[in-house]
Amino acid sequence: MDFDFTDEQIALRGLAREVLTAESSSQEVRKQMADATGYSESLWKQLAETGLLGITIDEDHGGLGLGVIEQALVLEEMGRAAYPGPYFSTVVLAATAIIAGGDRAQLDAYLPGIAEGTLKATLALMEDRLATGPEGIGLRARSQGGEYVLSGVKRFVPFAHVADVILVAARTSESPSDPSHGVTIFALDKGAEGVSIEPNVMIDQTNKVSTMTLENVRLPREAVVGQLDGGWKILEIVLRRAAVGAAAVMLGAARKCMDMSVEYAKVREQFGQPIGSFQAIKHACAEMLVEVENAHGATYYAAWAVDAAAPDAALAASVAKSYVGEASRKVCGSAIQVHGGIGFTWEYDLHLYFKQAKFLEALYGDAEFHRELVLREVMTPQAVPVLA
Amino acid sequence: MDLNESPEHRAYRATVRSWFEQNKPGELEALEERRAWHRKLYDAGFVGMGWPKQYGGQDASPIEQAVVGEEMVRANAPGTINGLGIGFIGPTLIAHGTEEQKQRYVKKILTAEELWCQLYSEPGSGSDLASLKTTAVRDGDHYVVNGQKVWSSQAYSADWAILLARTDTAAPKHKGISYFILDMHAPGVEIRRLKQITGGAEFCEEFLTNVKVPVENRIGEEGEGWVLAQTTLGFERGGSLLARATRHKMVLNRLIEVCQTMPRNGGMAIEDPLVRQKIGKMMVETEVLRYAALRLLSKLQKGQRLGPESSVDKLYYSEMDKRHQEIILEILGPYGQMFEGLPEGMALDLEATRDGEDSWAHNFLWARAGTIYSGSSEIQKNIIGERVLKLPREVRADRLARV
Repeated sequence: MDFDFTDEQIALRGLAREVLTAESSSQEVRKQMADATGYSESLWKQLAETGLLGITIDEDHGGLGLGVIEQALVLEEMGRAAYPGPYFSTVVLAATAIIAGGDRAQLDAYLPGIAEGTLKATLALMEDRLATGPEGIGLRARSQGGEYVLSGVKRFVPFAHVADVILVAARTSESPSDPSHGVTIFALDKGAEGVSIEPNVMIDQTNKVSTMTLENVRLPREAVVGQLDGGWKILEIVLRRAAVGAAAVMLGAARKCMDMSVEYAKVREQFGQPIGSFQAIKHACAEMLVEVENAHGATYYAAWAVDAAAPDAALAASVAKSYVGEASRKVCGSAIQVHGGIGFTWEYDLHLYFKQAKFLEALYGDAEFHRELVLREVMTPQAVPVLA
Repeated sequence: MDLNESPEHRAYRATVRSWFEQNKPGELEALEERRAWHRKLYDAGFVGMGWPKQYGGQDASPIEQAVVGEEMVRANAPGTINGLGIGFIGPTLIAHGTEEQKQRYVKKILTAEELWCQLYSEPGSGSDLASLKTTAVRDGDHYVVNGQKVWSSQAYSADWAILLARTDTAAPKHKGISYFILDMHAPGVEIRRLKQITGGAEFCEEFLTNVKVPVENRIGEEGEGWVLAQTTLGFERGGSLLARATRHKMVLNRLIEVCQTMPRNGGMAIEDPLVRQKIGKMMVETEVLRYAALRLLSKLQKGQRLGPESSVDKLYYSEMDKRHQEIILEILGPYGQMFEGLPEGMALDLEATRDGEDSWAHNFLWARAGTIYSGSSEIQKNIIGERVLKLPREVRADRLARV
């Protein structure tokens, strides 16, 4: 039983921090926020060269072959840097789906490109219905002459506008009693006919999302990733990883906001003394530490549990997403309050973290959604081990 | 990072679990029954596990302690008695006592042959404990103690107390305090039980009038009392956090059971989405406590000591418990407020963790104490702010006075 990171994991975290410090300064982040593509090619190359793009891809396909804990460490650093770009969509969403469901040809076609930085990808999941479960997937894919014809609207697709491949969750058959049946994932290459991508303007400018409209988009049978009608099984794996990954990013954002608040409270003086000497401010900072330490425990317990396929992996992932989502909201918000007026200015960096955490809080199941899953998990008899 | 239980610990857990299955007693009422059960636990090697072998302990690892703590809770077995003695007075004596003091007192703490309490707080000294006014004046081979103490848990059954008293009224307040062993049966010790908002009376207040304390009952040097009291760290604290999380989870599991048969808003309570959200949130927070406990255990297992960061866990647990008890009473409505007479199938039905009955109602009231005792939440936040985050100390009138 050891909750500490290994030396290798600590080194990896150091590497991620080094790359991000050099390539994702506040100035750089703001540049990408204002840029239509929303990411830096130079940083993307660095992420490829350091192996971070292929972190969970096996070595045969050019990756590092590491696990969920390592991925979480990198993502926490990205949260800490308010990193802008398609890392999450490519590595956490798309690569996970391809690894989980792809056949040999698909693995060979996509994974090496992702690892070496020549291929950006994403997953189109949400639609008009605000649902994280399979009932939310209604985009039709009709079988027609050996092909599939897809029509419908996908919403909040991260970095669709720069993706070379978009995995689309579509409905190939209706089964009202079990909506998880009949979902199929299609790999859609950039530039396919009938696809229009309309960027949205959101609070968080570090994560660019689009509304994606498909009008009679024709795809061959080979575009199906995983089993026909059996795509939800893959999406479950992806969503679990996304829950842990989002928790890690939000943890990074929260810890950064806490650090900034504590430093500021030491130097900002009012009434002739540093504001950190006042209990109102000191206690706010202490509450941030409680949330951040708990968020750390929840994130990395979940990362470990998913990696180790522990019996409580599903429970832990939902605990992490729901707890850390609310914790990061509290901490990032409280940081603005501790800073006062300066925390409300565009030029100060707090809002970058505040907004990025908010973006992830709402996706991949919000706190409410995951609380319901937690209750279902604890009510299933075999769940919940003792000491772990 | 590997959170799997090792094969050895898994095997140990199995042994402990079967011991509790075979030995768990029925309901215990009188102190002597509880003492006998305590003795049985001691003989099994489950008391003072982290203490050195030479003083009757087991030199057990933090994980082994945690396993026993957790299995005891899982078995819904009655706990040990003499908690303060075992949790920190014994370890304090082992760390700071003379050889004579260790020989005389330590073993009997473990076996609960002698029960201990702690005389710290005073009517005028709560959070500002160092302002305490009880005096100990040296008179030849003994000290004469005068003053009033309060909030001493189970003092009414205690044989001995660990006492903080002022030996130098001229010194700065933290430096004039000494640490003593006080005979609770000595002349001049008057004990009154304090009735609490729970209706129970496990806390007491004491009036100390010319109580003689032999010089050999001082722990450490004169004036060292505050430092010794501050540096004392329980040997078993890490394990108990995990047991707490487990216990809390059992309470919530019981709540789910009750909600499955309790009609509410036209269906069973468990079908109500609002109830589900509330229980889901409590479960999330309880799991997070368990992870914190595992993290702490992992540190302790590596021989790291607990520092001021342990305030984070105390603050989280006590505030969480208070919040959860309120939510539980929202869900159960007036049933949650019943001390007695709950309909069949609605009672909490878990072994009492402390004196007094255990019920939804009792837990609700008792949770108010958790954010006050052992340093209130406000004091914990000061500790976290100043000692962990290194924020500047506040300007305080008692510090200004010394300038």
